[in-house]
This record gives sequence, structure tokens and C-alpha cells, in this order.
Amino acid sequence: MDVNYVGENLLPGKIGQFFVILSFGASLFSLISYFFAAQYNKEPNAKELAAGKSWKTLGRIGFWLNALSIIAIGSTLFYIIYNHLFEYHYAWDHSSRSLPTHFIISCFWEGQEGSFWLWMFWQAVLGSILVFRSRSWEAPVMTFVMLCQTFLACMLIGVEVFGTRIGSSPFILLREAMQAPIFSNPNYLSMIADGDGLNALLQNYWMVIHPPTLFLGFASMIVPFAYAAAGLWQRRYTDWINASMPWALFAVMILGVGIIMGSFWAYEALNFGGFWAWDPVENVSIIPWLTLIAAVHVMLAYKHSGHGYFTATLLALVSFVLVIYASYLTRSGILGETSVHSFTSLGMSGQLIIFNLAFLVITVSLLIWRRKELPRTQKEEDIYSREFWLFIGALVLTVACVQMIATTSIPVFNALFGTKVAPPIDPIVHYNKWQGAFAVVVLLLTAFAQFLKYKRTDPKKFWPALIASFIVALMLAAAAVYFTKVYTNVMYVLITFTAIFCILANIRVLGDALKGKWRLAGSAVSHIGFALLVLGALVAAATNEVISVNESRYIGVQNFGKDGDKFTDPGENLFLTEGEPVQMGDYKITYLGDSTAAPNVYYHIKYEKIDEESGKVLESFRLSPFAQNNPDMGGLIGTPATKHYVTYDIYTLITAASADSQVTATNMQNGEKTGFEDYDEPATYQVSIGDTLRYRNGIFIIDGINKDAKLQNIPLDPKDVLVGLKIKVISGDQKEYDVEPVFLLKEGNAYDFNKDVEEQGLRFRFTNIRPDQDKLEIMVYQKPLPEKKWIVFKAIKFPYINFFWCGTIIMTIGFIMAIYKRIRDAKQEHKITS
Amino acid sequence: MKKSSIILIVIIAVAIAMILVIYTDSSTYSTFTEAKEKNTELYVVGVLNKEKDLLYDPVKDANLFSFYMYDKDSTECRVVFNGSKPQDIERSEQIVLTGKMEGNVFHASKILMKCPSKYNQDEVEVIETTAYLAE
Repeated sequence: MDVNYVGENLLPGKIGQFFVILSFGASLFSLISYFFAAQYNKEPNAKELAAGKSWKTLGRIGFWLNALSIIAIGSTLFYIIYNHLFEYHYAWDHSSRSLPTHFIISCFWEGQEGSFWLWMFWQAVLGSILVFRSRSWEAPVMTFVMLCQTFLACMLIGVEVFGTRIGSSPFILLREAMQAPIFSNPNYLSMIADGDGLNALLQNYWMVIHPPTLFLGFASMIVPFAYAAAGLWQRRYTDWINASMPWALFAVMILGVGIIMGSFWAYEALNFGGFWAWDPVENVSIIPWLTLIAAVHVMLAYKHSGHGYFTATLLALVSFVLVIYASYLTRSGILGETSVHSFTSLGMSGQLIIFNLAFLVITVSLLIWRRKELPRTQKEEDIYSREFWLFIGALVLTVACVQMIATTSIPVFNALFGTKVAPPIDPIVHYNKWQGAFAVVVLLLTAFAQFLKYKRTDPKKFWPALIASFIVALMLAAAAVYFTKVYTNVMYVLITFTAIFCILANIRVLGDALKGKWRLAGSAVSHIGFALLVLGALVAAATNEVISVNESRYIGVQNFGKDGDKFTDPGENLFLTEGEPVQMGDYKITYLGDSTAAPNVYYHIKYEKIDEESGKVLESFRLSPFAQNNPDMGGLIGTPATKHYVTYDIYTLITAASADSQVTATNMQNGEKTGFEDYDEPATYQVSIGDTLRYRNGIFIIDGINKDAKLQNIPLDPKDVLVGLKIKVISGDQKEYDVEPVFLLKEGNAYDFNKDVEEQGLRFRFTNIRPDQDKLEIMVYQKPLPEKKWIVFKAIKFPYINFFWCGTIIMTIGFIMAIYKRIRDAKQEHKITS
Repeated sequence: MKKSSIILIVIIAVAIAMILVIYTDSSTYSTFTEAKEKNTELYVVGVLNKEKDLLYDPVKDANLFSFYMYDKDSTECRVVFNGSKPQDIERSEQIVLTGKMEGNVFHASKILMKCPSKYNQDEVEVIETTAYLAE
């Protein structure tokens, strides 16, 4: 069926799709060319050297074409989203007209296609550096980079081959992506008002910077992989380590920053109620980070002692395989039952599995192929040597990763073996138990390895220095444990002690650095940062307390059916009515009201710390957590507000709120309607002229009878009786209203016409005249009091969380120092060899 | 024997022991009937009974939410959650509860919902405009 659709702008999609195909073709071409170029690497024969050179030129052409296509895809997609071309599914699905410009960038990577693009983009950027800087490594290293690039490019193709769809194109049209009756209308586009919009949780500036950082981290993991693989392939067993060291450090640094940014985003802007939840999505990003850290340490050990070549190579290779595994877990939908944060499936899990297996096969087969040639030493490691303990530390990190992989992969095992094992009931407890123990060992090793030298250390020097630091650490740790109140748990105490020991030992190294030994300053600084990070995470996670505990209503009220006693636990949510202060721990809190900045509603909560004796306000601040009422996304989505102090944070999140005022506004009936649904049960009074009666908000006086009352629409017969009753309403705030309900006797039937005082929510009916009793009968209706605004919220105090963020920053600085040093090392070595 | 080989064996042993322990830590997805028998914390998978009322009155108690759910065997059970109502539970397709049975009421400590994804919705919001062709 051919329909001529009106108003579609198909050109950008065609351009985009062209570049999608080109990027795939170019990367494949580049991969093949680089592969052949690498075959000729280091051939002495002049003719073969020339052949290698021309293959390399072809490889470069392919690479630049690929990079150009990636930029073109990005620009086209941005054009489509920015101009709200909703004929494209991607634009319709991820953006809307009301979205501010800076969030249009986030739309870009809300979908899987965009995040694949981001990954390709970073890989192209890193590739261009490699093309210029990696010299003799260019051909073999770029072979692996372009292999990965080819796999990524095929994720975007979106073309059917032999009945299976390969990849998912971001340029697919809405009418191709979905089946709906409106697409039979050539003019369907004018009926589409707006896009589906960006997930409210993602409308946050962290969403603008966190994914690019994280993907730069993931993308840069290919470089150590490529070097390690190229080292095996080209039999350049030793020199890949120096060449790839700055890259490995860079990858560890950026991925670390990306992960912590995600954690900061979760803490500041998402409603997880914390900074780390051991969610599968978090775990799979931290696993390759830890394995690459282990790899870096063993690489160092090998460089200095010749031990551990196999382990160093294996870890560098496996880290990237784990990156792909992470992307399989988060993108294939397999985590559906264990994580709420993963992408939904695009039906590409087959492709992702092939991608993953391809790199796993490369890793395994390269290692098997070269197993006999791998450099090894016959000499045994000395127990008093740094490399021995670096090696042990790396293995401990690896075992820690195995634990995380094992638990996180439970859904994968279920899918593989058809089992129905559920993950641990409380994942946080489960992971903390294991990872806490690993953290103790890792920190301890990080601390005492600082006292050792490569190859051999003199035990007579080692022990006194170690014991001195150990005792100082013990005393400092005792103080720290006391002040941070973590003494409730042995594991907490151990982590605190080892973290402090680690900081001290590394400060000692830093002290040497100040005397001129700058070599190890970078590692010392990043170790200090890491120890601070663990310490901050421990204290904040172990001692955070929910302060919005419902103390005042501890007993009663919540009797719910027979088993009332079960509910006397104070819950974690506190109910606050507008303008009514509640004491919560040290604070008196008041809900001041709300304000709207569409689409968000801000709820203002005042916190006051009041001195009990003098009644003086010691401290006062206002937090305005906000929430977006988005029916598409499932109602109220809260965004926390946090008050930061040096030693703790107060975190506040709205979990429920009274219906928005607009809703009640539309429900109000106008006075002419006869509906009485909005009113409470009426009161009937027998009154006389001059009586004064009360109502909820004031009084009303029966003023008198109006015999000349008139009705507009009803013709009157002289025999009919029509009487109005004058009533004066005086409200509590001294406002007066006159109202006159009417009574009519027509042809023997009684009618009455009610009148309202809208401002007071009152309705009067004049229902009868009783001449025998000299009384008049009236009925008074009152509207129920408007419901006061309320909120339900949760507040958590996170002590010492700043250590966590500070540690991250210090660690990053340490990495930058180390990268700088390693680049200089690599350059010097290059000078020496050439 | 080299020291590193000994260490390698130790580490492999630790890793195997660890994985075994992980699987004793892991749980199973059960039904309400099983939950009644076992009386321990477990997972129950099921769907919300959308015909019965969801009870959440924050004015009375901000920490009490109750609803009815069918498990996989279509057994219905009342579920009580000591917290505020998860926002999109009405739209959920599937619910995974963590908690234990007490009497005839299931006390949930955690609710995980699977909602129809925003990305899979085959609904296009349509507005009526006809002026476009009239020109």
C-alpha cells in the first residue's frame, strides 16, 4: 500500500542512514587493511615494507571515513531531535517540544542507538590519537580498535538480512517502527502533537555529563586490550606494557570518575535513597574497572621484576571482554527482573552475544597460541618484594570481581540452564558482606606494599617502619571509630582501621616524594583518594539514619484489621500538613507550601534547629525537593533536595503529596448546577425572623421576608405564592454577604430555589413556611472544609559522605599525576630505543 | 612447589567456596502457599488485582499501603507494605515482592514492579487538526 505522506522531511533520515552504512563499510575496510598492514610490520625487505605502508594508508583512509561518518550520523540525529521531526521514531520516542535545549543533548543518549553512537564517537576520538601517536604499534593496535568499531557500527545498521534484523537504526521512521491506524492517513504527521518526552528522572544536568564520561571510560578500555592483544600477536611481549600504561591509567581514571558521577547523580537527583545500591547496572560497570586496576598493578610488577606476564595480559584482555559483557547485561533486557534501571530490549541480544564471544575467543585463542613463548622467570618471587604483594593484591581484586559477577549473573545462569534461582533477598547486605571483607584485604595490601621495594627488601628496615605506622594508624582509627560511631560492627572497625593505615602508609610515600622522589607520588595520591573513598562510603552507608521517623504517632491509629500490633514500627515516611510544624529529631520542620515551575512542583520545607532552653533558633534552612507529576511515567516522581554540611548531609525526598490544586479547581461546581454532591449533609432549621444561627465559619441572620421576589423564567399566576427569605451571612473575618433563597407555591405544589454564598461554601434552601407554628423552614448546606495541603516525605542523614566525594577527586588527581609520569617514561624509552 | 602456585590454589579454593556460599545466599521465587508453609523471607512473583481497592491513606498513616495480589498459581492474598505507595503500581504488569507471610497477610519489605515500558508503548497521542490540507 502506497500512501503519499504529507509533511515528512525524509532527507535527513536518508543522509543519516547513508552514513550509518558508510561507517560500517569504512570500519570493516579499515579493519581489513590494518590487519594486512600488521602482517608486514617489521619486515626487513624493502618491497614488503612498501606493501605494508600502502595497506596502512588504506587503513587510515578507512578510519577517517569512519570518523567522518560518525560525526555526520551525530549531526543528522541532532538535527532531527532539535527540530522535533517526529516522523522519526527516535525523536518522537525520546524528546518533546517542551524540553529545554540542554536536555535535548540527553535525549541523544537516552536510547540504545544514541549510546552506541556515543561509544563509537569516543572510540573514533581515541583512534585518531592512536593513529598519530602509536608509531610502530599503529597497525596491530588499530586492527583491534577497528574490529570493535565494526561491531558497534553494525548495531546501528537496522537492515534485514535473511529475515533477521541486524542492529537498530536511529533513523527509522515512526510509521515503520509502530503499527497504528493513523498511519493510513497521509496527513498523520499533523495529528502527532508531541513526542513521548524524556524520562523525568533523566532531566537532570548529570544526565548531560555522566553518560559521555562513562562511555569515554568504556571506550578507552579497548586501548589496553588492543595493546595486550597486539603484543601477543606481534610477539612484542614486553614493550606493550610501557606503551599502554598511560592508556590503562587513563581508562581507569575516566571510568572511575564516570562511575562515581553516576553515584553522585543517584544521590543528588534520583530517589534511590543513597549513593550505591549494588544494582546490577552499577556492578557491571565497576567490575571491569576493578579488573583493569588489577591489570595495571600486575603490569607494574612485570615491568619491574619479570614476574606475572600471563596474569597482566589476561587481566588487560579480560577487562574489555567484561565491558562488552556489561553492555550485554544492560542492553539485552536479561536483567528485567533484578534491575529497574537497565535499558529495555531492542531484540539485539544475539548480536551482543556474538560481539562478546568474539572478543572472548580472541583473548583465549591468543593466549593459547602463544602460551609457549610467554616470558617467564624461573626465579621465585621473594616474599619481601613488592611485586609479590602487587600480584596477590591483584588476585584479591579479581576474586572480588568474581563474587560480583557470580551474583549479578544469576539471571544469565537462569537463562542458560533453565534454572529459577532468585538473587539474594537483600542484595545490599549480601554484597556488603563480601565486598567489605575484600576491601579490608585490599586496603591492607595497599598499605603494607608501600613499605616494600621491588625485588628484595631488607626485613630489618621493613618491620620497624611498618610497625610504627601500624601503631599510629591503630590510634587514629580508634579515634575515628569513636567519632563516626561505627563501632557497632567488627567489619566497620576493620575497614576504618585499614583505610586509615592505607592513608598513613601512602602519606609516608608522599613525604619521600617531597624530598625529591617524585616517581611514586601519583600512585600514593590515588591510593589515599581510594582509601578516603572507601572510608566515606563505609561511614555514610553504615551510619546513615532515616530521620523522618514517625515518632509522634508511634501507637494507635494504624490499627489495621486484627493484626494491629504489627504496625507499631515507626515507618520511614513522615506526614506533614501545610503550616503545622513537627519535631523530627533535632529539627522542627514545617511544610510551607508549594510552588509550581512546570512541569515540576517544588515543596518547600523549613528546617529549624531550636535551642531547647532559650527557644532561640540556632539554625534554619529551607529545602525544596521537587516532584514531577507525570501520568505517563507513573505519577509522582520525586527529586530529592539535600543540605550539605562539612560532616554530614540532610537528604529529603517527597514520596507522596496531596493532589495538585489545579485538580480540585476543575472539580468545583458552579452555583447554577443543582448537584449537591459537593456538600456535606444539610442541616434543617425552623427559624423566625431575627434569628441568628451559626455555621462552620461564622453566623447568619434571618433578616426578613421579601414578598416581591421575582423569578425570571417562570410565569406567575396571581394565585401562586412566591416568597424570598433575606439572609445575611457574616463570616468569621467580618465579611458580609446577602443571599435570598426563594419559596414558591404553584398550583398546590411547593418548589424552592436555592441560593449560594460561594465564598463561604454555603447553600441555602427556603423549603417551607409553617404558618401554624409561625416558623420558616430552611436547609443549610455546607461544603466540607477544603483539604489542607499535605506531603509525605522521607529524610535521611548521611554522615561524612564528603569523604566519599573528596576521595574521588583526590584519586583522580593521583591518576593524572601517574599518567603524566608514565607518558614521560614511555617517551624516554622511545628515545633510548631509537 | 612455587609460592605463586600455592597461592593460586588457595585463591581458586576461596573462589569456589565463595560461589557455593553465594548460592546458599540466593533465594527462590515462590508462591503465597509456599510462603505460608516456610515462614521465612522470600520472593513472590505475581500480578496486582486491579479490581480490589489499593489502600493508602497518608493522612491516617503515611507508612501503610495494602493491596491484593495474585501469585503464579492465581492464589489471591492481601499484601501489606510498611511504607508509602509506589507511584506506578496501578500500571504494573508484574510485581516481585520480598517479604514473609504472617497469618493470612503477606508483609512485603520491598516491592519491585515491571511496568509496561514507555518505549514499547504502541500509542501515539493523537490530536485532531484538519486545517493542514485545506490550504
